[in-house]
This record gives sequence, C-alpha cells and structure tokens, in this order.
Amino acid sequence: MRKISIGLAALGVAASLTLAACSSGTPAASGTAGGTASSGEKPYIAIVSKGFQHQFWQAVKKGAEQQAAKDGVTITFEGPATEAEVEAQMNMLTAALAKKPAALGFAALDSKAAAPVLQQFKDANIPVVAFDSGVDSDIPVTTAATDNKAAAGEAAKHMCELIGGAGTVGVMVHDQTSRTGQDRRDGFLDGMKANCPSVKVLDPQYGKGDPNVSADIASSIIEANPDLKGIFLANEGTAIGGIKATKEKNMVGKIVLIGFDSGKDQIDAINDGTMAGAITQNPVGIGEQVVAAAVKTLHGETVPKVIDTGYYWYDKTNINDAKIQAVLYQ
Amino acid sequence: MTSVEATPSVGSHDPGLLLQVEGVDKSFPGVKALEGMRFDLRKGEVLGLVGENGAGKSTLMKLLTGIYSREAGEFWLQGRPLVVHNPKEAQEAGLSIIHQELNLVSHLSVAENIWLGREPVSGGFFTRPGEQVRRTRDLLARLGMALDPKAVVSSLSVAQQQMVEIAKALSFEATKVLIMDEPTAALNDAEVDQLHELIRRFITPETGVVYISHRMAELKRIADRITVIRDGHYIDTMPMADTSMDQVIAKMVGRAINTAARPENVRTDRPVTLSVTGLSTKTLLNDVSFELYRGEVLGFAGLMGAGRTEVARALVGADPITAGHITLNGTPVTISSPAHAASLGIGYLSEDRKRLGLMLQLPVSHNIAISSLSGRFSRSLFVNDKAVKATAEESRKLLSIKTPSVNQLVKYLSGGNQQKTIIARWLVKDCDILIFDEPTRGIDVGAKEEIYQLLNKLAEQGKSIIMISSELPEILRMSHRVIVMADGHITGTLPAQDATQETIMRLATHRDATTATTTITEEAGH
Amino acid sequence: MSSEPTAAAPAAPTVVKGGSWRERVQQLMALAGLLLIFLVFSVASPQIFPGYSNVTTILFSTTVVGLLALAATLVIISSGIDLSVGTAMTLSAVMSATFIVNWHLPVWLGIIATILFGGLIGLINGFNVAILGLPPFIATLAMMLVAQGLALVISNARPIYFDTTEHAGYIWLSTGSIIPGTRFPNAVLVLALAAVVAFVLLNKTLLGRYDISIGSNEEATALSGINTKKWLMIIYAVAGLFVGLAAIMISARLGSAQPATGAGYELQAIAAVVIGGTSLSGGKGTIVGTVIGALIIAVINNGLQILSVRQEWQNVILGLVILVVVYIDQARAKRAATT
Repeated sequence: MRKISIGLAALGVAASLTLAACSSGTPAASGTAGGTASSGEKPYIAIVSKGFQHQFWQAVKKGAEQQAAKDGVTITFEGPATEAEVEAQMNMLTAALAKKPAALGFAALDSKAAAPVLQQFKDANIPVVAFDSGVDSDIPVTTAATDNKAAAGEAAKHMCELIGGAGTVGVMVHDQTSRTGQDRRDGFLDGMKANCPSVKVLDPQYGKGDPNVSADIASSIIEANPDLKGIFLANEGTAIGGIKATKEKNMVGKIVLIGFDSGKDQIDAINDGTMAGAITQNPVGIGEQVVAAAVKTLHGETVPKVIDTGYYWYDKTNINDAKIQAVLYQ
Repeated sequence: MTSVEATPSVGSHDPGLLLQVEGVDKSFPGVKALEGMRFDLRKGEVLGLVGENGAGKSTLMKLLTGIYSREAGEFWLQGRPLVVHNPKEAQEAGLSIIHQELNLVSHLSVAENIWLGREPVSGGFFTRPGEQVRRTRDLLARLGMALDPKAVVSSLSVAQQQMVEIAKALSFEATKVLIMDEPTAALNDAEVDQLHELIRRFITPETGVVYISHRMAELKRIADRITVIRDGHYIDTMPMADTSMDQVIAKMVGRAINTAARPENVRTDRPVTLSVTGLSTKTLLNDVSFELYRGEVLGFAGLMGAGRTEVARALVGADPITAGHITLNGTPVTISSPAHAASLGIGYLSEDRKRLGLMLQLPVSHNIAISSLSGRFSRSLFVNDKAVKATAEESRKLLSIKTPSVNQLVKYLSGGNQQKTIIARWLVKDCDILIFDEPTRGIDVGAKEEIYQLLNKLAEQGKSIIMISSELPEILRMSHRVIVMADGHITGTLPAQDATQETIMRLATHRDATTATTTITEEAGH
Repeated sequence: MSSEPTAAAPAAPTVVKGGSWRERVQQLMALAGLLLIFLVFSVASPQIFPGYSNVTTILFSTTVVGLLALAATLVIISSGIDLSVGTAMTLSAVMSATFIVNWHLPVWLGIIATILFGGLIGLINGFNVAILGLPPFIATLAMMLVAQGLALVISNARPIYFDTTEHAGYIWLSTGSIIPGTRFPNAVLVLALAAVVAFVLLNKTLLGRYDISIGSNEEATALSGINTKKWLMIIYAVAGLFVGLAAIMISARLGSAQPATGAGYELQAIAAVVIGGTSLSGGKGTIVGTVIGALIIAVINNGLQILSVRQEWQNVILGLVILVVVYIDQARAKRAATT
C-alpha cells in the first residue's frame, strides 16, 4: 500500500521534481503530490473500453475489478454505447485525463484518432496499457489482447474439418472498420485458404452486431446459397442472429455454425447442437491483465510489450470443463 | 368590344407604349386561365387593373415575371420584346412586381431585405453592412419613407413591410414599370394616402404603374385609366375620370350591386346573448366592455392595431386574458380555449383564412365538418363519412359554395368560397355567436355581396354576429351598431343611424380614449 | 400520343382532382415501384429470389421496421417526427422481459403491459410536444437518449433471456406459425393486423381525421374548436402502442431483450414512411404507402444480399432509391400544383 503511494507520488510530481523524491518519499509527501490522490487513498486507474453494455465488456470489467481488489487499487470502467462512437470515446479519454489517474487502460475504437490524446497522457507521465486491440503507437507500455487473427484461423480450421473440405461457407462480421472485425474476418479467410482452398467462401456480410439485422442477413445467405455448408459468425450479436436464422429456416444440423465469444445464446446453441462450436477469448483474463500490467508499471517493473491473453475453442465436448467455464459468460 | 385574335401579328405593337401585353394564353389542366389576354400601359400613367378573383390577374403577373411560361402571346417593354425566365430577370429588364403576399425575409433587417442578392461587397465576398445601410438611408429618404434601415422586418407593421417591398422594387435603377397586386389590402386610410403619394412621386414621363385592386374608391383617386378583365379575357379599358364605380363593377361581374343597403333596426330590444366587462390582456386590451344582442350584427371598426382581432382572440380563449368577465346568455363563463368556445357555441372566423382558418390541403367536406366531427359525425371514435359528405353537400347548396364537389381540396376554391366553407363549418356546428374577422378580405366584389346577404340572413335567423372590418363601407353596410376601438380601448359605440365614415374615423383616431367613450356612449344611449 | 395536343384542354373547366384520387395514384406508383424492384431481382435471380421461402424471409424481415414505420406515420402526418421509436422499442423490450422473466407475469399480461408501456413513452413524447411545446424533433431526440440509457440501466446492460419452454408462447408470437405446415411466421401476420388497425385509425376515426387536420394546419384546427393538445398527446401515445408491439416482436424473435440495440431503427422507419409518400411537412400520408415503403426497403436489402452485392453498396443503393422515389413524388406534386 505504502509502496504504491510512493510510486504514485513519483508519477504525480515527475514533471517538476527529480526522482529523488522517490527515495525520500513519505506518505505525507505523497499527499501533496500532483493531486492524483490524497494521502492514504488507493491509486486510481481509469479504464476506457470500447463498450460497456455488451457481455464481453462486462466480463472484462469483472476481471479488472477482481484484479483491482487483489492489488488494492481503484478503477473506473467506461465505454461508449456502441462501437461506432469513436468521438464519444475520445471525450471519455479526455475526461479521464482531467481526472489525473495513476494509469490508463485503453481499448481503442480508432487507434489513430486516439493518438493525440494518448500523447497528452504520455506528457503527463501517465502510463497507458492498451487492451483488446492494439494501438498504432509506441505510447502504451504493453498491449493485452487476444490474437484475433490466430483465433479466427483456429475457427477456420474447425470449419474445414466439420464440413469435410467442400461446399460454400458464409462469413458474417460485426463491422468493416474495427480492428477485431478486420482481424477475425481476415484470419478466418486466410485460415480457409490454407486449410481447405476448394471451399467457396462468400463475401463477408456485416450486421452491425445487431442480432435482428444479422438474423435477416443470415436468412438471405441461407436462401441464396442452397449448397451452404457453414457460416462463421464473428461476434456475439452476429452469432445470435445466425442461430435465430438457422432455426427459423429449419436448417439446424444442415449447416455448421461457428461462433465467436460467448453469451447465453451461443452456449445454449452449442449444447443443443445448433452451433458446432465457438472461439472464446478470455475477457476476464484481459481485464485482470490490464490492471496487473498497470500496477506493475506503477511499481516500476517492466512488462512485456505484448501480453497474449489467449483464446479457446469450445464445443459440446469441452464446454463444461472448468477451464472453459471460467472464461465463458452468460 | 371586338374580340381579340389569339395569335396577334408581330406588327401589332406600338413602340410608344411602356408595356404592352398581347394575345396571351395560359391553361392549366382542364382550365383556360387566360385566353387572348391583353392590356397596355402608357408612359407616365397609373393603370388600374380590376377583375374578380379567378379573373386571371395573378396568372398574368406570374407570366410577366417569368414564374409561369406563356403558351401564346407577346410582351413588349419600351417597344422591345420582353422575355424573362424569373423575377430577377424581370427586375433587371425594368419590371418590378409587388405581390399581395409580401416576400420579405422576416429575420433580416430592412437594408438586408432591400439588397438581398445584390449586397454591396468588397473583394467579391465580404459584405459591407455600413455601405448597405447608407444606400438604404439614401433610398428611403428619396422615397420619403420614415423607416429605420436596421429595423428587423418582423418588428414592422404590415404597412411598413409593404413600404420595404416598394423600396426594394424601386432600388433597381432600371425599374420603369411597377406592378402592385392589392397593395392596400392591409393598410388603413392614412397609410393608403402615403402609398399613393409614393406612387405619384415615382411616376415620371418614362415610368408607369399597374395598380391591381378591389377597392374602387382608391382606383378613382389614383388611376388614370382602368382595364377590366373577367374569366381570363380582356373586357374593356376606360378613362377613370369618365367612368363610375358602378360601371366598372358591372363590367367585372356582369350585374349591378346594391351598395346602398343599410340595416334598419337597432336590435337592442332583443335579449343579450353575450356580455363582456373589463376585458384586458397583457399586451394591448384595456377594460373592453360591450354587449351583443340576439340577431345583431355588431361591427368592430378601428385602425390596424387598435385591438379588434385581439378582442376576438381573447373572447374565444385563443389568447390569455388578465382581467374581465364574460357572460353567455346570463351565465358567467370562463373560456379556456377555442375548443371550449366552440363547445359553448362561439365560432371564430379568422382574418387570415389561409393560416388560421383552413386546412388547405384537405377537402371542402373536411373543412366543413372539422368542428363537428366529435359528436355529430362520429359514434365512439368512428367517423361517419356518409354523414360528413351529406352535410357538406347540404352546406354547399345552402351557401352556394362554388366547387365541383365537396371532395375538392379547399385550396382550389376562390377566396369567397373558402370563406363560405368556414361559415358552413360554424353553421354545421350550430354556433349561436359568430365572430367574423375581416369576412371579405381578398374576396371579389360579387362574392362580397353574397357574404353580406348571408350574414344578414344569419342575423335574421337569430344568430349574433360580431364583424370586425377595416373597410368602413362594409361596417356601415352591415352593422346594427358599430363599436370603434383605438389603442386597445373602446372609444365609442354608435347605433347604425349615427354611424358615418366621419364619426367612425373621428373615434378611431381619438387618442384620448376615456372622454370619447363616455361622451359618445351617452350620445348613443342604449 | 402527341397527335392530340388539344385533348388536354377540354372546353369546359373540369375539376382539379383532389384527395382520394391523387392518393390512390400515389399508392399505385409506390406499388408499381415495389413490383418493379421485385421483378428486377426476380429476373436477376429467378431460382431463389421469388421463391416462397425467400418471400417469407423478406416479409419476416419487414416486421420490426414495418411496425415502427406505422408508429412514425401517425406522428409524421401530424407534421411531427419521432426519433425515439428505435430505442423506445428497445426499452419496451427490456420492460417486456422484466415483466415476464423477472416479475413472472403471465405472458399475456406481460404483452399487454409492454404495449401499454410503449404507449406511455409515446404519451410522454406527446406531453412534451403538445403541452410543453417542445419541437417534436427535440422532444423525441431527448426521449431517444433517455430510452437508450434506461434500457441499459434496467437490464443492467445485459440481455434478458426468455425461457424457451416457459415462455414458448411468447417466442411463438414471432417465429411460430399459426397456419399449420407453412412455416409462415406469425410476425408477418401481426404486422398485417397492425397495419389494418392503423389504416382504420387513420381513415375511419376521429384520431385520423384530427391527425391529418393538425398536420395540415394545427392553428386552424385549434381555432376550429379542436383540443389539438389533447389529440396530439393521443396521437403520440397511439404511435407508442405500435412501438410496444414492435418491442414484443423483436424480443420474441430473438428470445431475449437486447438492450444494446435499437438506435438506427428510427431512420429505417422514417425512410419507409417517406418512400411510402407521406409528407414530412404533415397533413398527408397513407398506411398502405408506409407498408409498401417498408417492403421496398426489405426487398432491396434481401435482393442485394441474394445477388451477393458487396454490402457497402447496399446502403448506397438504398439511399439512391430514397432520393429517386421522393424526387418523383415531389415532382409529380409540383406538376399537379402549378400546371
């Protein structure tokens, strides 16, 4: 506790004072520093996410809160209402800066747009821990993220096996512009090319992650392609739409659905056989890693440039394993 | 009168004329709006142009300014063919039109309106407001107009806005011909005089004015010659000095009108239906008290802004009152909204029919039935369309509303028939008190007479009528008693036999309201 | 055709046709547009596009936007606008799940409560517009944000799931089929029924008459003795009932209330209304037109997907269709008014 206060004080005053303050720091001294936190208070880490209402982000938040409790720091966790609201996220970032946190956890909706504000964090000596998707800049001390490309490649491998290497496969993604959308799409397409080049992969369709819109699109794909063997669904909202459409069109068991992330609909669909399997990230782990990395940095420890938070393939056979259950959310 | 060739030869024009219109045709689907229309304007004259509504005046104006394109015919301006595609080209060619509906941008100042689209600029981009105001001041001084160039147009009276329009038209150096469409519709007599003075100043041996108006007395004063058109055809042109008003009206409508009829009886022996005491509003009305008798037409006279419309609006609950009591058939009432007034049997017919009276896009039948839909024409929530149609049809016959069908959209009706439609609305609602605000504004002479007869008939049937009017002949023609207002006060109440143009004008311009009220009311003694 | 130029000008002045005649032509035009678009896709994809199964898909995908468009039509005719229909639907869906899943209300009661809740949101909009005098754009924009936020707060930012066995009846409302052996989704029938109700409301009742009258000229309607404030509130509230119904249909289809969705649906709904020939300046509009408008959007979306047109272009094409349709409509209205 005391150690952290000292570290904080150093951060707060680093711009004007020498690091000598670090060695001579006392709790009293830390109280006068910067305005970051008054004496005895826990260091504060601001986390600006890509969203907060989606189950995935709620799981990240949960992990972050668990780790914060363990490390004795306070956090705030916020994100814009939809993943299209780049500007809203910028406003949250500036607001976070004004609160002078000890560190920032940040998942960029648009990493280029965020660059100038991140520079301000750097100038104020507030360390930045990126998560979920990378930031095109060397400001973050580390990036805690799923390797989405590799994860989607894994999904492609399973798709190839399950459809027997022939036929037509649809691809539905939440959007064209986000890093996760692009990585999962490209990872899947590359994976299909590598594992079963003879399968015809349709142009990716985008449903904004809206289950209702995605269901309409999936219905159209099913109608348009009588030889459809499978659909890859790149996030939870998209997956819900794909599952509903498959049921509505009475195609359960006739097409292979492979999803991404978790949530009740996907878990139920895997259990009842509508969905063959899905890739899950480790959202709770991401949250934990963000806070842990931030705390380590505050302590002056070095952290690796990239923290791979991992992913898992889960299907009917392993869905009840403790390891999988730990990272799934309902 | 000889008939006019539909396609005149090119040589038929006279280069000595200022503006010449020959053989103009224009039709709309199913209707020939103009056929062989012609008129000419000599240099240095004011030409009166008269015709009933629907005679084709507006169409002619829109052709002259290029808003419509003509199907046949020729225009010459100062001996040269005039071909324009929009009002701006017309103005540049020397022909400016002031429309009845003013075309000003209400949020801009006088100066900004006058130079709109022609703002003095520096560097081709930056406006020069100082220069603009200076030019405006010069222009207004030249025209003898007492207007502030920086005043925002929405803050001006209708008369002042009219002046801005005129100033704008005359700000074009090229302007040789000024066409004015009903320029005095919203002006009081003093303002009309001022306008006529402006016109006389504008007239030089090189310029001319076409003055379109329904008001015969004005034409008599200002016009040199008068051209009558009817149903899209040219009828006749006469020198004003040798022509009587009755002659003109006869040519316009093809029938004589009894303009001398005056009501005979004062109705003060009848029961009082409506009694108002001490009515006041926040902005204008101050202690307005009067009584309305059964079967009476009570005229409200006064200058613009005297508060006559405000009395009507306050009465029906359209505007809030700060003090006053209303008694209806002996029972005190507080009227909270026009809906409430309607339920009490008080109907208000606004002076601004298009804005406050009609649902223009909707059929005649809807406009008649609207006030009575709930109740008479519906069971639970469902509207009985058959009853609506049948009643509308009855009203159409009863009031002789000229429309091919009650399904016709009301916007296609003439002003007089639109007014009858609104009257029908309140008759169907079975209102006992009808408040007419300028009942014949914008209505042609023939239809006016019909409205007058209708009002008389309603009064005879026992309806009580308040009639607000700016036209003194109308007030005198119709009213059993005349209430005169000035500055939010009642300045006098005159029984029909005492009411003359002079007595009314004296009260209307009376600024010392209190003394006037006492003396005249005592004289009138009811 | 040009050999009889005089035929256009009959000797006697004739009626300038109004109301019903023109509306009918307008609906014919919209219907012709729908059929034309349908025909184009059918030629491009004769095997799949016009098949029973795909037509069912198209109709099904029309339901949610169609219901919201019915609501928007009632409001737009009064010369208002309702930007809150999308997120008000989401909030109502969350409330539906709250009633049925969390409070264990019987399904039928939950449905009634949800529809009434939608009506309540509409009533608040109506109050803000009619009584407080806020411009409809502002009032409903505010409601759009409030509803979006409340949906997240009440649901704790998590989807609320209906139980597939306990609430099977609820889900059946959308995806089930009352016509045996057809797999024809009930949702389409619900939309059809709602459209009939809206049609009757607009054409046969005081509500519709006053709606059109207020949209044509609110002040004149008030001076005609109509309590326009009361009726405006009723109009917004009734529109809200349709939004409540849309909330049931979307949550029934998904088997859950998804609190994060909803924004953007209002623009789809308004687009459907506009394509259907309802004037944004009020006083004019039809339910049939709106349904056709919603179908045109659904057909275009589905058809382009069937043809595997890249999705980026689907929005471009939809936008262009709106421009063309509304331009043709206005050009025709202008011609009718000036020639």
